[in-house]
Amino acid sequence: MPGISVEFQRVGKRFGDRTVLAAVSGTLRAGRVLVVAGPNGAGKSTLLNILAGVLRPSRGEVEYRCSDGAVPRADWFEHLGMASPDMAVYEELSAIENLRFFARLRGLHLPDATLSELLEELGLPSREHSRFVGTYSSGMKQRVKLAQALLHSPDVLLLDEPSSNLDAAGHAAVAALVARLRGHAAVAVATNDPREMAWADARIDLTL
Amino acid sequence: MRSSTLLSEILAVLAKELTAELRSRVALNAIGLFGLTTLIAVAYQIGPYQIREADRPHLLSALLWIILFFAATSGLSRVFVKEEDAHTAKTLRLAARPLAILGGKYLFNLILLVGLYALIVPLYCALMGYAVRGVVGLLLVLVAGAVALAATTTIVAAIIARASGSTTLFAILSVPLVLPLLVMLIQGTRAAAASSELAAVLPALQGIGSLGGAVMIVSVYLFPVVWHD
Repeated sequence: MPGISVEFQRVGKRFGDRTVLAAVSGTLRAGRVLVVAGPNGAGKSTLLNILAGVLRPSRGEVEYRCSDGAVPRADWFEHLGMASPDMAVYEELSAIENLRFFARLRGLHLPDATLSELLEELGLPSREHSRFVGTYSSGMKQRVKLAQALLHSPDVLLLDEPSSNLDAAGHAAVAALVARLRGHAAVAVATNDPREMAWADARIDLTL
Repeated sequence: MRSSTLLSEILAVLAKELTAELRSRVALNAIGLFGLTTLIAVAYQIGPYQIREADRPHLLSALLWIILFFAATSGLSRVFVKEEDAHTAKTLRLAARPLAILGGKYLFNLILLVGLYALIVPLYCALMGYAVRGVVGLLLVLVAGAVALAATTTIVAAIIARASGSTTLFAILSVPLVLPLLVMLIQGTRAAAASSELAAVLPALQGIGSLGGAVMIVSVYLFPVVWHD
């Protein structure tokens, strides 16, 4: 089912009396990078959570579309990879054990060598792969989070501040990753980092 | 597309739970500590001789299940709360089918309960001088109780994890589900202690099986809504 796009029409979110996201519309197209920019509190993470299906919008609609038509909401997660600051991997498991677990959940039977390659591509050296994630620095944890989002070569990739906690080498690894995905996956990046804004094929600017 | 079965995903969740628990031992310590402390306190204060012979079947079966239930509650309620606290819930939500999560967490709670029973019940019988005539009947009641209690505590734990994870709320929500179950478990245990005939525990087993089965069926439909909304 190649080439999934995500269309969202007048999507908004309220928590009680507070509007955290006004009506926003757009399309996340296969092979393109959509950058969602805006000041802190403008609703960038909220929009990505709504696009991921982990948050229901107070108004508006989101639809995943492929060549066969609309993808049922219950199946979105099969096509989706996501990394955000409010997500974590298991600290009691090693990086490899985490990836092995998430791969099994997704029905993938990937050898450890493949998982190690992915971690190394994201800048986590092989000597660290069998250490518990709880002993990692925040930058190393971020690399493992990104790896779990990429395990299944998702059609839709949602990255919320992907370079947070990463050094220059980590940022370069994420940039290379986005460049590799450009052309087949639909990528959305929520960011305030000018270097990440430069990845944009399309851009949504949210305001307070 | 997805090549795994629901069973293999359930087993993946179970394996992760067991591995993480054996390394952190949070639930094991809570359950073991609570169970042993309560058992020793009860045995020290009451022991095998402080209860009149006529009252023993009723009181000893009730005391056993009070110890087992509250020890279980101290650990099983955290099965989903720990995911929310560690910020792994969203990662898990985006990677797995809800039923795989429910099944894996249920089996994990079931294993913890069976371990608790294996630790506490023989000690209780020895320390309290609890003579059980129908050992097979008691084992059947314990197995049925573990299956039904694990189902109840798992779905309630899922609900309270989405309601900011209050263990007080866990206790309150559990009452209407657990109270009738506990009453039937106590009745079944008393019947097993008094008679070696399996027919004596059959009414309790039917009740426990019905309630446990109903909770499981409701959980299968309710959990995806609780988990995602």
